[in-house]
This record gives sequence, C-alpha cells and structure tokens, in this order.
Amino acid sequence: MSASYILKRIALIFYTLFVVSILVFGITQILPADAAVMMLGENATQGALAALRDQMGLNDPIWLQYLHWAGGVVQGDFGTSLRTGQTVGPALFSALGTSLTLAVLALALMLILAVPMGILAAVRRGKLSDLVVGFLSYIGVSLPEFVTATLAVVLVADLWGLLPPAGYIPLSEDFWGGMQRLILPVCVASVMMIAHVSRMVRSELVDVMHTDYIRAARLKGLTRRRVLFRHGLRNALLPTITIVALDVGYLLGGIIVVEEIFSIPGIGRSLMSAIQARDLPVIQAGVMIMAATYSIVNFAADLMYAWLDKRIQYD
Amino acid sequence: MVKTNTVLQVENYSLAYDVKGGAVQVLNGIDLMIRRGEILGLVGESGSGKSSMASAIMRHLAGNARENDGSIWLGETDLRTQSEHQMSAIRGRRVSMVFQDPATSLNPTLRLGEQLAEVLIRHQNLTMAQAWAEGEARLAHVGLKTPREMMQRMPHEVSGGEKQRVVIATAFACNPELIIFDEPTTALDVITARQILDLFAALQQETGVASLYISHDLALLSQTADRVAVLQKGMIVEEGETGTLFRAPQHAYTQTLIAAAPQPERRLVQPLDRAAKPLVSVRDVTVNYGRKSLLDSLLRRDFAPVVGSRAVTLDLRPGEVLGIVGESGSGKSTLAKAMTGLNRFEGLIEFDGKPVRGLSDMDANYRRDVQIIFQHPDASLNPRQRISEILARPVKLYGKGDGSVRERIVAMLERVRLPASYIDRYPHELSGGEKQRIAIARAFLSNPRLVICDEITSALDVSVQASVIELLMELHRDTGAAYVFITHDINLVRQIAHRIAVMYRGDLVEIADAERIADADRAPYTRKLLEAVTPPASTHSA
Amino acid sequence: MTDFLGRLLRSPQGALGCLVVGLILIAVIFGPYLTHYGPEHMSPLARYKSPSAEHWLGTDQYGRDIFSRLLDGARSTVLLAVVATVIGTLGGAIIGTGSAYLGGRADEFIMRTNDAVMAIPSLLMALMVVSLLGSNSLNALLAIAIAFMPSMARISRSVALTVRKQDYVSAAIARGEGATYIVLREMLPNVIAPIVVEMTIRVSFAVMLFATLSFLGLGAQPPATDWGLMVSEARQYLHRSYWILLWPSAAIALTAIGFNLLGDGLRDALNPRT
Repeated sequence: MSASYILKRIALIFYTLFVVSILVFGITQILPADAAVMMLGENATQGALAALRDQMGLNDPIWLQYLHWAGGVVQGDFGTSLRTGQTVGPALFSALGTSLTLAVLALALMLILAVPMGILAAVRRGKLSDLVVGFLSYIGVSLPEFVTATLAVVLVADLWGLLPPAGYIPLSEDFWGGMQRLILPVCVASVMMIAHVSRMVRSELVDVMHTDYIRAARLKGLTRRRVLFRHGLRNALLPTITIVALDVGYLLGGIIVVEEIFSIPGIGRSLMSAIQARDLPVIQAGVMIMAATYSIVNFAADLMYAWLDKRIQYD
Repeated sequence: MVKTNTVLQVENYSLAYDVKGGAVQVLNGIDLMIRRGEILGLVGESGSGKSSMASAIMRHLAGNARENDGSIWLGETDLRTQSEHQMSAIRGRRVSMVFQDPATSLNPTLRLGEQLAEVLIRHQNLTMAQAWAEGEARLAHVGLKTPREMMQRMPHEVSGGEKQRVVIATAFACNPELIIFDEPTTALDVITARQILDLFAALQQETGVASLYISHDLALLSQTADRVAVLQKGMIVEEGETGTLFRAPQHAYTQTLIAAAPQPERRLVQPLDRAAKPLVSVRDVTVNYGRKSLLDSLLRRDFAPVVGSRAVTLDLRPGEVLGIVGESGSGKSTLAKAMTGLNRFEGLIEFDGKPVRGLSDMDANYRRDVQIIFQHPDASLNPRQRISEILARPVKLYGKGDGSVRERIVAMLERVRLPASYIDRYPHELSGGEKQRIAIARAFLSNPRLVICDEITSALDVSVQASVIELLMELHRDTGAAYVFITHDINLVRQIAHRIAVMYRGDLVEIADAERIADADRAPYTRKLLEAVTPPASTHSA
Repeated sequence: MTDFLGRLLRSPQGALGCLVVGLILIAVIFGPYLTHYGPEHMSPLARYKSPSAEHWLGTDQYGRDIFSRLLDGARSTVLLAVVATVIGTLGGAIIGTGSAYLGGRADEFIMRTNDAVMAIPSLLMALMVVSLLGSNSLNALLAIAIAFMPSMARISRSVALTVRKQDYVSAAIARGEGATYIVLREMLPNVIAPIVVEMTIRVSFAVMLFATLSFLGLGAQPPATDWGLMVSEARQYLHRSYWILLWPSAAIALTAIGFNLLGDGLRDALNPRT
C-alpha cells in the first residue's frame, strides 16, 4: 500500500462530497418551496419578501448561490435553519453523535452475531443449523425496519413491558437508562445487516473451504480447528470487510426509520422533519454529513483490506 | 501379510461416487504396492481416477464416496480403520503430498514460513522458534538461496518454482514414509519443471522415501519412475518395470498412449517451398499494456508500460507452419492477439503485400484470411449459442461457397469428424476435445489462409491432443493454410512446425528450422529450453 | 425453456420462490374477484374482528375487510415495486454497460461519479426525490427507480466487463463482427442472466422501500391500501386488535421472501454449465 494509493483514495472522498454537494444543492433548488415565504409565513407583504430574498441571495444566479453555500460548508458553516432560525451545524453534529452511538452499537451487535452464524452455517453445511441460519436470514432480509420496529415495540414494550417503547437519554447522563432505551433500536437497526452479512460469511467460507490450499492444509494433518480458523476464516472474512462497509450505507438509511419510530434525536430524525418541513439548509447539511460518514467508513474499510491482504498491488 | 519393506499396499480397492440416478465408478479393483525407496508412476488421462486414488490413500474423500472392502495399508497400519482423528496425525507425518499448482495449494494470506513451520509444530512437537529455525534449514535444503527471507515472504512475492520448492520442503519436513506427488510440475514452465524434477530426484535418492508419482505425462514417468501403472477408467490395465513397459507395452491402451505422445523425429508436416514470397511479414511489432493514469500525469511521473512483446520481426510463407514457444509471459499470445486485432500494437504487419498498421486496416478480407483458435474452447464458444449459430457466423460473414448455410455446416462437421446431429446442441453438451473441434470448424469455415492456434491442445488429454493435431495437419494438407502454432510443448511443435520461433520475456530470441532447433550453435536460451524438455518416452527406451 | 423451468423448480429456493411469487401474481391479477367485499367498504358494526369464516383475516378500525384490502394493496405495492425496479434496472444497465463500452477515462469518470451518488443511502435518496416531487405513489415509484440506478449501474458494468473479456467475444472481434452483433448476440444473452437475477432480488427491496415510504407518510396517502400505509395506520389501534398490524406486515415480508427465493433459484437455474 503506497502513499499515492492513500492520496488517491482521499482525493476520491473529496470528489464524492463534491458530486453529492452538487446533487443535493441541485435537488433542493428545484423544490417548489420558497425559502423567503417559509421564513416570513404566507401572509408576509411582497416588499418584505423581496427584501429578504435579496438579503439571502436568492436572486443571484444558481452557480453563485452554490458557490456561496459550498464556501460556507467548507468552512463548517451550513447556514441557518428556515424552521428554527438557528445555525444548522452544531445541532446536526450533536444529532450525528447520537446516531453514531446507535450505528456503532448496531454494527457491533451485527458482527457479534453475524460472523459466528455464518461460520456455523458454513461448517455445518446442509445440516439443521445451516437450514435454520438460512431460514432466519431470508426472513431477516425481508423485513423492513418499520415492520421489525413496530413488532418489537408491540411485543417487548407494550405486551411484555420489558423495555420502554421509545425515547432517548444520552449515555453520558444515565448509562443504564440510556442503554435500556437503545436496546430495541439497536436490534432493529441491525436485523437486516445480520441477515445479509451472515449469508455472505457463509458463502465466502464455503467457497474458501473448497480451495486447494484448504485441502492442502488438511492433508498436512493440521487439526480441524487450525484449518478453519487460521487458514479458512481469515480468507473468508477479507471480502466481508468490503460488504460490511457497503452495508453501512444501508444502515444509515435504516437509522432514519428507526430514529423516527423510537423518537431518537439523531440525524435521521432531523432529516425526516427537515424533509417534511422542506427546511433546505438542514436537508443539504444532513445529506452531506451522511455521505461523508459513508465515504469515510468505506475509506477505512479499503485501508484495512489493503493492510490485511498484502496480495493487492496498489499504484 | 504385509512384507517388511512394503510401504504402501493397496488391495482390491474400489471407489464410487453417489450421484443423482446412480453411482459413478471411479476406481475398480485397484492393486498397488510401493516398497521403500521406490517410485511408482501412476499414469492416466483426466477422469481415469488417478486423483481419486491419491484422495483414497490420504483418506480424504467426499461425502458421497462409496468404497468396497478393499484394503489400504501404510506399513503396518490399516488406513481404512483409522478414525479421522487418527488420520490427521498420520497425514503430513507418515504420508504427505505435493500438489499440482503451488499457486493455489499455498494459502495466499499466510507467510511461507508459517505454512512450513505449522507442520513441524503439529507433528514434531516443536516450539514456534524451533520450528522456524528447522524450517529455514529445510528451505536451504531444497535449494532456496535465502531461506531466512523466504520464510518471511508471502506466496505472491515469490516465483512459481520457489513456491513449489516450499511445498516440497513441507512434504519432506517430517521424513514421511510415503509422499504422493500429484502432477507436481504440470503448472510450471519447462525450465522450472526440470529444476523441480532434479530436486525431486536428489531428495528421493537421499531420503529413500517411497513415492507415488501421479502424472498424465508418460515421457516424464519413463524417466522418473521405477515402475509404472497405467490407469484407464478406474482400472489398472497394465503395470510393470518402467523399461519393460515402454519397450514392450502389452495393453492396447498403453500402446495408444505411447503412440500419442509427441515425438520430434516423427515429422507430421511436408517440406515447404522455400522460394515463395512471404504471406505475412511482421515488422518491429511492439505491444504495450497499461496506460498512464491521471495521477501520474498530475505528479509528472514517468510512466513505465508493461511490455507484452518488443520489436518482433518475422516472416511467414504461404502454407508454412511456424511454431512459437516460450514460457508463460514470454509474449507469444500477445503477438497472436496483435495479429488478430485484439491488442493495439506499434509497427507494421504486411499481409499478402498489404500493410496493416492497426485495427482500421483489418478489413473483411483480412478478417476472413486470418483466423484464430483459442486455448479453452469452454471460453471461446458462447455458452448461450447452439453449434448451428456458432458455425453459421463465418458462413454469413464471408459468404461464398456452395450450398445452404446448414449444408455447409454439416459438411464441415463431417470434416472435423463430428456427427451432424451436434448441430443443434449447446457447447456444454460436448466434451473438451469435441468443443475444440467446433472451434477449429469455425475457423476453417471461412477458408482462411492463416490460422493462429493459441495453445489449442494444452487443455486436452494426450490421446485427444493427438487426434486434434492429426485433424489440424489434415486440414493443413487439404487447404494449404499457414499456421502460427503457439505452444509450450516443444516435442509437439518439433513434430509439426517448419520453423520454430523462441520467445523470452517479450523478445524474440531466434527463429530456427524445426530440424535444426536442437543444434549446438543455437542461442543459449534455446539450448537451455531444449535441455529442460523431457524427451519422449519410447524413442530412448526403444 | 422447459429445461430451464425444470432446473428452476428442482431447487428448493426456485420452487418455493415460484410458488410465493405465483400466489402474489394471482392476487395482483385476480384480486378483486377473490373476495366479495370492496376494499373501502366499511361495516361500523364489525370493527376490529379477529379472523373468521366471514372475514378471513379479520377487519380493521372502520370494519373494512383486511383480506380485501391486502388484495387491493397487492396491486399498488407489488406492481409499482416491479415497475420501479425494471425502470431502475434499465437505467442502471444503460449507464453501466455504456460506461463499460466507452472504457478508459470516460468509464473512470462515470463510475467514480456513480460511486459518489451511492454515498447517499437509497432510502434518503428516495425521500428527497419524493419530498421534491410531492407525496404520491407515482412519485414514489420514480424515487425508487432513481435510487436503484447507481447500484444497478455498478453491477451491470462489472457483468459487462467480465463478459467483454471472454474469449468468445475476442473471437467475434477477430472474426470482424460488427459492434451490433457482438453486443446483441454475443454479449447481451450472457449479460442479461445475472442482471435478471439481481433485478428479481431487487424487487423485494423495492417492495420494502415502497412500504417504508408509505409508512413515513411520503408514498401513498389514505385511504389507499398500500401495505406500508396499512401498517402505519394500524399502529394507533393496536390496543384493539393486533391483526390489523400483523397481516400487512406479513404480506410485505412474504412478498420480499418470495422474490428473494426466486432470485436465488434463478441464479442457479440460469447457469447453463451446471
């Protein structure tokens, strides 16, 4: 892995953000809503509206508006919310922190469950445990988050009363209380990934266990344990890194639904309400932050892959 | 019942695999015996069951395997009564294996040292440090110059020959009683293969290990093995001391195999009219791979393209068969691709007096006159087209000729000795040799003047290869087309080529008459290549 | 063709997938004839009923027959999901194969940009498009089609590049075949199979995405019978009956499982070499 590869990869992140910024700015520009009307209300006088439009630069050509906006973004200024009148940045970043807590916990839960499930299914291929894992994963990838979330709330919170149905307490304030409220959202957010990743781990491991080098390892008289864990698993898990990183994109989408249903003040919920209120600066900033998160995760995954798999020659 | 110096004794062993709708018999009543210090060669074509024999001895069979009550003894141990747990202590310690392709039999993500040391740790109870030191000594012993560095390397960082040396060192690591060699040189280049064979001979001599040497290559076995057993469709049809077996083969199948092996002295091609002016002139043709990346231009870095072939110049007369030999990566296929417009090239190709400088100069006439046949018929025949559509294309593209398209296809099928009923089949319903005949038929349907054969027989069995070559030479006689015959099989090319071009790392080393290729005044690389080739079996022992 | 169907039905996934998708298709086509209740027919006296011989799946908060509503919803939910996937796949396939065909710098530029667009989660992309165009089913369809394009473009491109490198394509080029023949007869049949497999699996995603949009109030609007909307509305009446929530959820899951199974079955059956 050379410095120029890392450099190229970083340049790619910036290109991604550039494309996303154009896209999101473009989309929000076509929105029929008029920011000035939104701020002053339907009953504002024409004069007041015109003055505000002028002040906000809404009469400038689009490219100038983009440059103005993008210039602000580069300096960390995402503008002010049309709905609340507050600056967008600080509120969204604190919401991002909440969402990341949720996402990291969901990822951790996924890894803890999906990898052993995949290994079990691959090792006991064609046996009962394989069928059970396969069946569960079919169900897992076929349940949208809003269904799992609703069912989870009905069963665990309403019917059995085991956990609070919704709400959020920062972990720094009350760790156990916060955790209690996070259990359901984390489980719901990870279901789809658990199903997907366990299937991937299984099929990769099944492929790897049929390679010549695994046969060679067995015929060297190595123990089953060593063949599976030292020779098989490492090679099977390598491609999984990339798959997990791509799934993070899905997770970020799923978090929007989860936060909405469980009333968690994360970035997904901020985005949802911004979309419903057509609060352009918040939508723009939220999408940019999500895309950046996704890009950085994939960058990290690529570096990790390159570090672990030294076969790959990067130029 | 087991004699004291007998290492492996297989008696009346049969094996079948359960598949949908019955069982497929792969081994039938096998009797084999190998003594200490002896090398038994097991020869057979693909599907003969020779690899299943290795798996049976290693007790590493698929779940659907069904065995009879035949016995497999390793010394005093009845291998068939061993549990999986007991077997794993025997594998690698008392019987070990060397595999065909070192590129796939080594774990790509583990250091070579670990893959060697783990055997010593498992079977000799050494600590990691002891095993590592012992491993270095073993690597030095198999002729690796820098064993300490080699231990630290990853498989992709070393050459194919070095990898196979590591595999061999691993197989010999615990001084086993028996080593099974499963085509250990087939995946290697000629010169590397020769070095590995020499290493095998030296180690075998030194340790006196009993060896089961599995190969499809009779010539090779005639030189390495003490005794040879011939396996056909799961049965040993003949077994005997190597010299006797090759001098006086008893069974018809053995005779066919020996006859099918290419023999340089038995020329299959008519002498050529040397006066004719060239059909093709290749002038300074260079092919580069890769392109300058955007980052390279931005950083103003120099761009070093990968050279496919460098300034190649050669002539080909009408009706001439030109062989091109060289190891993998020597640029022989690159040249073929340039001549058929599949690679960009610099330089000039003159065909029948008309200059061709690039893709745009290759008009319909050139396309019709120059045909290419690829190595793997599986890949070169579209899996979703019937034979009728595959063979109809050249007829439709180049027109001419009498009769309907279908009639011409049927006639061509007959010419390549395939039943006319194949016309409505899909490629996957045909055998490897039959598919290659379809590819040949496709090339000859356009009445070409030059046919480029890119390793067309190397994926085929010996006997199939012989019949494909026979067909090819028959078509050569009938049509007078010139051939560029690219191969790594030097014995074969000496049989069928008028002249042979030797390539090495993108350069054309020299071109010589096929009869003079073994002369003493050839280029050093050519001599090295020829020395590495195993002479065909029967000529020397006969 | 019969050969292919035989292979499809022999694998457990293929057979199950065909069964489920077949049932769903029957519901989509013959839905209205399978029940004598209209989807919007209210019976104030028969609200929150559990499943019975009269109302197979029970009734909802207005006394509407849930089975009839599900059948009616199948039309919008499944049909729109299939259409959205087909549009998304076609769009993606054109971008992907076009990019592979152009090659070089153009290919790199298109794919880098395509990857960049993939940094926006599909659901978020769909949400943005719907909020831009307005919340209704047709816009949701368009939103999902657009959200699918980048990933389908990536898949199509890699499939096209793999096929492009095959020797039979090289053979066609060396023969001097025209670009049209190479693309249509040599490449397309081999490219289509894996894309159809991917598309079938994508339908299940589209069904879920559709339902999610409706659930969030950005797809179909009441009193439509969209399954996602039914789940969303049912949440308020949970304390009266769980069935209102359960049936549409099960319908979504079953449809998604059906298309997933069918896709996996097709993958095995479409490979001519096995």
